[in-house]
Parts: sequence; structure tokens; C-alpha cells
Amino acid sequence: MVYFINDIITGALIGLLYSLVAMGFVVIYRASKVFNFAQGELVIIGGFIVWFTTMQAGLSLWLSIPISLVLAGLVGYAIERIFLTKLIGESVFSMVMVTVGLLILLRGLVLLVFGPAVRPFPIIFPLKPLFLGDMLIPMNLLMGGIITIVAAVGLSWFFNRTRSGLRMTAVAEDHVVASSMGISVKGSIAFAWVLGAILSTIGAMIFLSGKSLTFLASDIGFAALPVALFAGLESIGGLILAGIIIGIAQSLTTNYLDPLIGGSLGSVVPYIIMLAILLIRPTGLFGWRTIERV
Amino acid sequence: MDPSGIFPTSYRSDRRIIRTRWQVLALVLFMALLLLAPYLVSGRIIAILNMMMISAVIAVGLQICTGYAGQINLGQAAFMGVGAYTASILASKTGLTFLLTIPLAGLSAALFGFLFGLTAARIKGFYLALTTIAAQFLFHFAVLNLPSTWMGGSNGITVPPAELFGLRFVGETAQFYMNFAVTAIMVAGAFGIVRSRFGRAFVAVRDDDVAAGIMGINVAATKANAFLIGAFYAGVGGALWAYLIRFVGVDQFTLFHSIFFVAMIIVGGMGSIVGALVGVFIIRIIQEIIATVGPNIADSVSFLGGDIVFAGMNVVLGGVIALFMILEPKGLMHRWNIMKSSYRIWPFPY
Repeated sequence: MVYFINDIITGALIGLLYSLVAMGFVVIYRASKVFNFAQGELVIIGGFIVWFTTMQAGLSLWLSIPISLVLAGLVGYAIERIFLTKLIGESVFSMVMVTVGLLILLRGLVLLVFGPAVRPFPIIFPLKPLFLGDMLIPMNLLMGGIITIVAAVGLSWFFNRTRSGLRMTAVAEDHVVASSMGISVKGSIAFAWVLGAILSTIGAMIFLSGKSLTFLASDIGFAALPVALFAGLESIGGLILAGIIIGIAQSLTTNYLDPLIGGSLGSVVPYIIMLAILLIRPTGLFGWRTIERV
Repeated sequence: MDPSGIFPTSYRSDRRIIRTRWQVLALVLFMALLLLAPYLVSGRIIAILNMMMISAVIAVGLQICTGYAGQINLGQAAFMGVGAYTASILASKTGLTFLLTIPLAGLSAALFGFLFGLTAARIKGFYLALTTIAAQFLFHFAVLNLPSTWMGGSNGITVPPAELFGLRFVGETAQFYMNFAVTAIMVAGAFGIVRSRFGRAFVAVRDDDVAAGIMGINVAATKANAFLIGAFYAGVGGALWAYLIRFVGVDQFTLFHSIFFVAMIIVGGMGSIVGALVGVFIIRIIQEIIATVGPNIADSVSFLGGDIVFAGMNVVLGGVIALFMILEPKGLMHRWNIMKSSYRIWPFPY
């Protein structure tokens, strides 16, 4: 029973990590109507920036983390300036394809610049797990979960309550209408990518803390995809619930169903949930009901 | 498009694929050159041509699904994989002739594609791209986690050579003719499909699905059909691939390969069969150059090792996709048509 509860708690915390990465998707979508397939690549670039500032440049954590976040923001800004500003008002297809192109472009660049070598990642959160009776909770996931919830509440307030947040929401509704209302579409999209890159870097810190870093870690971007869809692409608060549900479902499948069938069903459960969501309720749990059906 | 003043006087002439005598000549010359290729060029080029023809089948299928019907498909490599696995399982376990396994591979891939096409009836845009990505992951999962006696698991399957009347298609040249025959049939079929009522329904749905529905087109069925046809082509291409490489493994059909196929149709031009062929030609050449140059660079920059080819391919193709979407979203065929018509009406601007 203790193990069962422990599995549920760990699953929920992993789910919250997915939520944080998925928050990158949602923030970018929420402020620019662009669905960023390259989110996992942003996570890995964030990871390499953190690695560079701590392990290579030898800065202390207190200095390197803020510097890494600023650098990540600059990378996000650069990507937006180079690729996305020119596509404002273009079709969904162009936007999707550009981010798909970015996905393989960034993957290749990371490989070319950093190579396939496995690198140690700095220990950002204490390695010692938290013991609750017989239960054992990884510290990085616990702290990450708290950060995720704080970030979700903060961003949710920002996008739903503040004036500038609502402006960005208008951009997500329609580029042309938003710009004719005097809202800076360019500024909104730039802000979204900076924020998305920063969130991805925080995600990388939680995910990789004390582990090893290779370019394969970007797979977390695809693991987070179902969470974003489950919550509904516009809802930041909903990500918490969606992440917890998917995390628990995955953890329980991995621990109880996989030994029975002798496979790794756990890794594919999120996608099965995603397919079901897309078929039954394409707007997700809390998304806007704007999906055009035919 | 025809210049003003020239218009078809009958339905038959409107539907014609080959419109002028010069086009007949060009087609005959092109086919003759291809058929004689094994006598004209070295084995290395024949190997490249083999890859190009197989990619052409798959890219033409993607062109019908994405370029004509407007359904974003990021799972073409998975559909190809379904075809490749079907062909290799049938060939290695039941010993069926390739005359049967290739169409059956196409059919099984078409069925798999149709299942995901059904979701297109409810959702569109990038949501659809997401379900095709899910298809990609589910395919991987199925291959790796089903009992390894079924699909070989991570070991892959070895494929026996294609055989007909005691004649074995081994070696690049023999396979060249087999690939040539299948590719010619498939490409000719694609020209037929896109000018038929199905093809016109695809274009109508792509341009405006609400309007298409009002005109009496069954939009959901049309979208599912687009996936069915696109996946059929991918399955046939996958079967050819299985016979060419004589080995299938799950690593040959990843999301990256799907994106490479998308790059082909974007470069060539959306909504044009010839565009798909042009795109295949260009992207395959780029890939060949990287594969040849890459190892030389890898020698001087040693820490990268063998990954430089994969990395370089990703950087170049990712850059190509992004650049084309920003600068030339309609692809090279569109640019070619503009050049053609401005040459024709010179010195007038329009």
C-alpha cells in the first residue's frame, strides 16, 4: 500500500514536470497562436546553457541560474526574430511546418555544437530524497512541482487578469484583428518565445538536476505534448490537473501493468490518452471551444 | 495554366495530362534515359536513383494527402514502416511473391492510415499533425513491444530477395528495373487520381472545407480517403524499401524521416505531382552530398564522430524547410510556372 501511494505521488510529481514543459507550449500558443513543436529542443538548449554556465564557465549556482535564464530568453527571442516574425498572419500550415523545421534544425545544431557526448549536469536540487515514513520522494521533482504550481498560478493570473496578458490573448485569437485593435503582434510573439524558452530552461534544471545531459533528453518535449492537449491548449491552470492525471496514469501503468505484459506500455500511455482526447473532446479539459469541426 | 486564348474545347482535352507534342517528346526522352541509366552510369548513381524512386513513391503519396487534400501528415514514415513490415513478414514467413506482397503492403498501410484519417474527420490544422505524430509513436511502440516473433522487435526482420519466374531481383540494376516499374505505375496513378473526381474533391476540401461540404462533397470521407491513398503510396514505397535494403528495423521509420518527406514536398511545391518528384530529387541530392562530405569533415573535427551526417542532415533540411516556408511557401514548381509564363508573355508584364 505504501508503495502504491509512493508511486502515485512520484507519478503526480513527474506529471507536474511535464506540466512545466507543457507550459512552454501553452504560453507560446496563448500569446501567438503558434504551436511550437520544437519545445523539447528548447528544453535541451536550456540544459546546455545551464551546463555551460556552471560546468564550463565555473560560475556558482546563484550566479549561473539567472544568467542561464537570461541567455535562454535571448535564444527564444532570436528564434522568434529569425523565423516567426515573418510568418505573422500566415496559414496554420506554414506555422506548423516552420516549427517542425525548427525541431530538426535545432536538434542538428545542438548535435553539431555539443556533440553526442554524455555530460554531467550540475546538481541544482539536493540529491537526497525526502523520506516520509516508508515513502521516498525525489527532491528535484518535489521542488519542481512547487515551482510548477507557483508558475502556473502566476502565469494564469497574468494572462487572465492583467491588461498586457489579455492583449496577448487577443493575439492568440486572431493576428489580424489584434493588430487592427492596436495590439503589437510582434511584441506579443516575442514575449511568448522568451517566456517559453525560460520555462523550458527551468524544466531542464528540474528534469536533469544531478543526472547526465545528452541531446536525447529533448524527448521530454514529446512526453509533455499530451499534457498540453489534455489541459486544452489555452489553459495554464488546467495544466496542473492534466499533468497530475497523466503522470499518475503513466506511473501506475509502468509499475503495475508493464510487469504483467512485459513491455513498456507506460511510455505510450500519454499518447493513447492524447488520441482519446483528440477524438472525444479536442478542446481538452479547459480549452476554448474554438476548434472548427467539419 | 494555359495562356489566355487557349482553352480546351472538350472535356477530354481539359483532362489531358500531356498537353503538347513537346511534352510527349520530353516524357519519352526522360523515360528512355531512366531505362538506359544502368548502361550509362556507375553503380553508385544507380543506388542513388533507387533511393530516389522509392522516396518518389512515398513523397507522391504525401503530396496527395498534404499537398492536394491539405491534411498535415507527420506520420508518413510510420505508414511506410507498416508497408515495409507487412511486405517483409509476408515474404519471409509465407514466401509470397512480390507481385502480391507489394500491393498487400500498400493495403495494410492504407488501413493503418485510414484509421488515423478518421480522426481528420473531427479535427484539423495542427491538431491533426498531432494525431499523425501519435501514429508515429504508436508504430514504434507496437514494433518494439509486441512479441518479437511477430515483428522482430528491436532486431528487425531480414527480407528474402524478390523473385519472379526463377528470376531473382538481386543487385542494384535488377532492383532498379523493379523499382522503375512500380514507381512509373504509382506516379501515373497519382496523375490519374488528382484529375479524377476524388482529386478535385481533395482540392476543394483543401481550399475551403465548408464550401466543399455545401457543394455536396462528403468532407469527412474525402479527408479519410486522402489519408488512405497517401498511406497506400507510403506502404508500397515501404515494400520497395524492404526489398532494396533486404532488412527492416524500426529505426528506419522515425519522425525525422517523416519530416524529411515533408521537406521534399515543401521544396518541390505543394499541390503538384511533378513538384513532389523535383523535391525528392533535390532533397536526395542534398542528403547524398552531406553523406559524402560529412565523414570527411568528421575526420578533421573528430569529437563529432559518425553523428555529423545525421546532424548535418537535420540542420540543412530544417533550415531548408524554414527558409522555404518564409521565402517561397509555394515551392519551386510555383516559381518555375511564374518563370514560364513571364517568358511566354514577354515583353508584357501580364
